[in-house]
Amino acid sequence: MSSLTAPSPAVDPTGPMAQVSRSRRRTELIMLAFAFALVAFAFANVGYSLKGTLPAGILEYMAAYIAIVLAAHLVMRRFAPWADPLLLPLAALLNGLSIVMMYRLGAQGHPPPISASTVDTQILYTAIGIGCFVAVLIVIREPRVLQRYTYTLGAIGILLVALPALLPASISQVYGAKIQIRFGSFTIQPEEFAKLALAASFAGYLVVKRDVLALAGRRVLGIDLPRARDLGPILLAWAASLLLLIFESDIGTSAVFMGLFVAMLYIATSRTSWLLIGFSMFVIGALAASKLVGHVGERFDIWLHPFTGQNPSNNAYQLVQGLYGMASGGLLGRGLGGGQPYITPLVQSDLIFTAFGEELGLAGLMALLLIYGLIVQRGLQTAISVKDPFSKLLAGGLSFMLALQVFVIVGGVTRLIPLTGITTPFLSEGGSSLVGSWILIALLARVSDSARRPPPRPIQEEGLTQVVTLK
Amino acid sequence: MNRALRRISIAVLVMFVLLLVNVNYIQGFDTASLASQPGNSRAFYAAQNQYQRGSIVTSDGVTIAASKPSGGNDVIKYTRYYPKGVAYAPVTGYDTIYSETGIEKAQNSLLSGNDSALTVRKLIDLVTGKTTKGATVQVTINSKAQAAAYDALKALGKPGAAVALNPKTGAILAMASYPSFDPNVLAIHDGAKLNQVDKQLLADKAQPLLNRALEGTYPPGSTFKIVTSAGLLTQSPNTSVNTNVDSPTTLTLPQTQHVLHNDQGEVCGNGTGQAPLITAFAQSCDTTFAKIGMQLGAPVLSDMAQKFGMNNANLTVPLPVAKSNYVIPPSQALTAFSAIGQFSDTVTPLQLAMFSAAIANGGTLMKPYLVQQVTASDLSTVQTTSPSTLSQPVSPSVADSVGQMMHAVVQQPEGTAYAFRQDVTGVDIAGKTGTAETGQVSLNDAAFTGFAPFANPDIAVGVIIQGGGYGASAAAPIAVQVIKAYEQAVGHQ
Repeated sequence: MSSLTAPSPAVDPTGPMAQVSRSRRRTELIMLAFAFALVAFAFANVGYSLKGTLPAGILEYMAAYIAIVLAAHLVMRRFAPWADPLLLPLAALLNGLSIVMMYRLGAQGHPPPISASTVDTQILYTAIGIGCFVAVLIVIREPRVLQRYTYTLGAIGILLVALPALLPASISQVYGAKIQIRFGSFTIQPEEFAKLALAASFAGYLVVKRDVLALAGRRVLGIDLPRARDLGPILLAWAASLLLLIFESDIGTSAVFMGLFVAMLYIATSRTSWLLIGFSMFVIGALAASKLVGHVGERFDIWLHPFTGQNPSNNAYQLVQGLYGMASGGLLGRGLGGGQPYITPLVQSDLIFTAFGEELGLAGLMALLLIYGLIVQRGLQTAISVKDPFSKLLAGGLSFMLALQVFVIVGGVTRLIPLTGITTPFLSEGGSSLVGSWILIALLARVSDSARRPPPRPIQEEGLTQVVTLK
Repeated sequence: MNRALRRISIAVLVMFVLLLVNVNYIQGFDTASLASQPGNSRAFYAAQNQYQRGSIVTSDGVTIAASKPSGGNDVIKYTRYYPKGVAYAPVTGYDTIYSETGIEKAQNSLLSGNDSALTVRKLIDLVTGKTTKGATVQVTINSKAQAAAYDALKALGKPGAAVALNPKTGAILAMASYPSFDPNVLAIHDGAKLNQVDKQLLADKAQPLLNRALEGTYPPGSTFKIVTSAGLLTQSPNTSVNTNVDSPTTLTLPQTQHVLHNDQGEVCGNGTGQAPLITAFAQSCDTTFAKIGMQLGAPVLSDMAQKFGMNNANLTVPLPVAKSNYVIPPSQALTAFSAIGQFSDTVTPLQLAMFSAAIANGGTLMKPYLVQQVTASDLSTVQTTSPSTLSQPVSPSVADSVGQMMHAVVQQPEGTAYAFRQDVTGVDIAGKTGTAETGQVSLNDAAFTGFAPFANPDIAVGVIIQGGGYGASAAAPIAVQVIKAYEQAVGHQ
C-alpha cells in the first residue's frame, strides 16, 4: 500500500504571518535595540568620564543615529525582507561606536586630535552611507543585475584606482600615499568605491570564464598549473595592484585588491594553483617594490624593529604609541574617556582600533573582532547558501575582502604584519570608507535576501488533492 | 564552488584567530614590558594622575606645593602649583607632565598616592567612599630661614647657595640657590609649550635649574682649615688652641720655587714667625695651615675630610648630593695647597654647613635630612624621619677646641669675620671664612661656614657665592641673616 500525499512540508499552513517571522525582520529589530542601547550607554559613559555629566547633545546625536538606522531597517522590511537579520545590527553597532569615539576624541587633548565637530560630520557620513545602503537595496532588486555591467564596472573600478595616481600630488597625496582626491576641504578616497566595483566586475568576469580558467595545463610538483594563455587576467590584476603600490605608495590597498582577486579566482575555479600563483606573485611584487619604494621599505623596518634606536620617537612613533595605548588598556581597558588615545598620531583613522583597545581593553577588542568575524561569517554563509554563481562569487569576494581589510589594518596596528595605512571598516573617521562599507553591507544583504527567499509557492488547489489507494 | 568557499572560510577563521591571539598577547601578557618602555608617557600619566597629589609643607606649616583641580576640558585632572615658587624651587623641585625633580621626585610615590605604604588606607577610602589623595610631605625647612637665605642671595645678585642645618639632628632648615626658577612655569599641561619652556631654562647661561646647594661644588678655601685643625688636634693631643705654631710670613713650598704668601702679604700673629694656633686660625694664615698640612700628610687630611662627609658619592637627603672631593695630592707642595682648601678640594654648600654642624654638635656629624614627616590624607603618619649619626669626625674635646677657634674668627678683633661679632649682630656666632682664589680677587669664590648661638648651637650654616670675592664680605652677611632669621623664629632673640 502506498499513498500520494499532496501538501508539501515547505508550505506553511498558517499563512502570511508565519512568513514574516521567518524573514526574521523582528529579530533584526530586537538586535538593533541592543545595538542602540550599547551605543547610548557608551555615549553616556564618555560624557560622565570626561565631564561628569551626560554629553551635551547626546539626545540629538542618538536620535539622529537611531532614526537613520531605523530608516534602513524599514527599507529592508520592504525591499529585502529575507535578508540576513544580523548584518544591519552588527554594522550599525560598529558605526555607532565610531560616532561615540569621534565625540570622545574631539573632546580631549592638547589640542584634540580631531575637532569637536567631527562627530557631526561622522553622523552626516552615516546618513550618506545608509542613504547609499538604501539606494542599493532599492535600485538593485536582484544581485544578478550587476552581472550585465561586468566591463562597465571594471572600467569604473580601474579609473577610480588610477585617478589619484594621475592627479597632481597636491590634490591626491596624504601622508606619503597618493590615495585621495581633494575638492577644497572635502576629500574622497576613490579606492573605497573602486574595490566594490572591481569585486562585482571580477565576479561577472569569472562566472563566464571560470570553466576555461579551471582547465589544467602542465603539472609541476604535483600542482596543476593553469594554461599559460589563461594567465592574462591575473597578470593584469597583478600589474594593476603593483602600479597601485608604486605610484600611490599604498601597500595596504594593493594587498587587499590582490587578495580579493586571488580569492575570487580560487572560489570560481577551486584550483589551489591559482592561490599559490597569486600569493607568490604578490610576495615577489611586494619585495621588489620594497626595494624600489622607500616608503615601503621603511614600513618593514618599523614592523621588525619598532623599539630600536630612533624608531620609537621617529618612524615607529605612531605604531609604538598605539601599542602603548593598548598596553595601558590591559584586560578591561581604562573605560571610555579614561585613556589617552589622543597621544597616538592619526588615532581617529588608521589607529582607531588601538583607541578602542586602550579604553575598552582586551575584552572590547575581542568583541569588536568577533563582530567583524560575525559579519564575515554571515557573508560567507550567504555565499555558500545562494545558488546563483554570480551572487556566490560576489558575496564570497566581498566577505573575504572585508575580512582581509580587517586583517591588514588590525594586524598592522597590533604588529602582526607591517602597518599600512588603510581604514578600519565602519570605525575610522572619514566618509569614503564608511559609505563604501555600507554599500558592501547592502550588497551582502541583497545577496542574502535572494539566498534566503523561499521558492515561489507552487500553484495548487488544496481542495483537489485526493488520496488514492492502490490495491 | 562551495568547497572553495568553505576553505576560504577556514582561511578567514585562521586570520581572525591570529588577530585574537595577537591582541591577547599584547593586552594580556605584554602590558608590563610595554609599560616599562622608556618613551611610554601613558604609563607615567597613569601613575601620576590617578589621585590628587599631596602637598609639600614646611616644618612651620607653610604650603610650598599643592594641587588644585584643573577645571575646563583639561585631560589632566589636577594642576600643581607652588605658592612660593622661586625661593623653594631647590627644595620642591618641579612636577611636570613628564618628570619630576627635588622632593617631588624623591617622594613621588607617596605624593602621587601610589606608594605601597598607602595601600591599606586606599582600601579604607574605597570602602568608606572617600576620595583618595596623595600623602602630604612635611619638610624640615623653616620658612623664615629659607626666606632670609633666598632674599639675601637675591639681593646680592650673584650665583650662590646657602644651606642651614640643625646640628643636633641634621634637619635641613634652609636650602636656597640663586639664580632660581619658578616651578609654576613647568607645571603646565601643554606638552609643546612645556618643552619650549624647559628648553629655555636649560639654555639659560645662569643655570637656574641647578640646585647649587646640593649639586654645585666649589673650592672651600680657608673654611677647609677646620678640617686641617681637626686633624692636627686629633693627631697631637698635646696641642691646644694656645700652642704656638709656625706662622711664617712667606713659605717656600718644597721642591718648587713657589713662595706662599698670606693674603695681601699679611703678617701672621706678631711677626715672630710663631703664633698661637687660635690666632693663626682667626687670621686665617695660609702659611701656618699649609705647613700643618704638610706635617700631617695627605692621608691624614683625606681621612679627616672623609669623616666630615667628603668623598661620599652616595649621600642623599633624600635628594642626591654631589660628591665633595678631597683628592690626595701627588706632592708635598700640593698637599700644602690642599690643606688650605685649594688644589682639587671641592665642597657643596651642604658639605660646608656639615663642617660647622659636626663641630657644633660636639664632634658628632648627624646625617642631613629634608623630610620631617609624611602624613596620609586621613592625617595618620606614614613615616617620620628620626635623626641618625653619619659619623664622628672628632672627639668632643677637639670639637670644643675648633669651636673656640671658630668663635675667635667672629668675636676677636683679629678675626676675619669680626664685623659680625655679637655686639653688631646680636647673635653669638662662631664661623670660618673662606676665599678660594680663582686668580682675580673680584672673581674669587666666597665661602662662609658657622654656627650659633655659640653656647648652645641650634643652627649651622654654609654659604658659597661664586665670584663673590672675600668670604667675609660676600658670604658671611648672608649666613648672618639666615642665622638671625632663624633665631628670631625659634624665639632665641
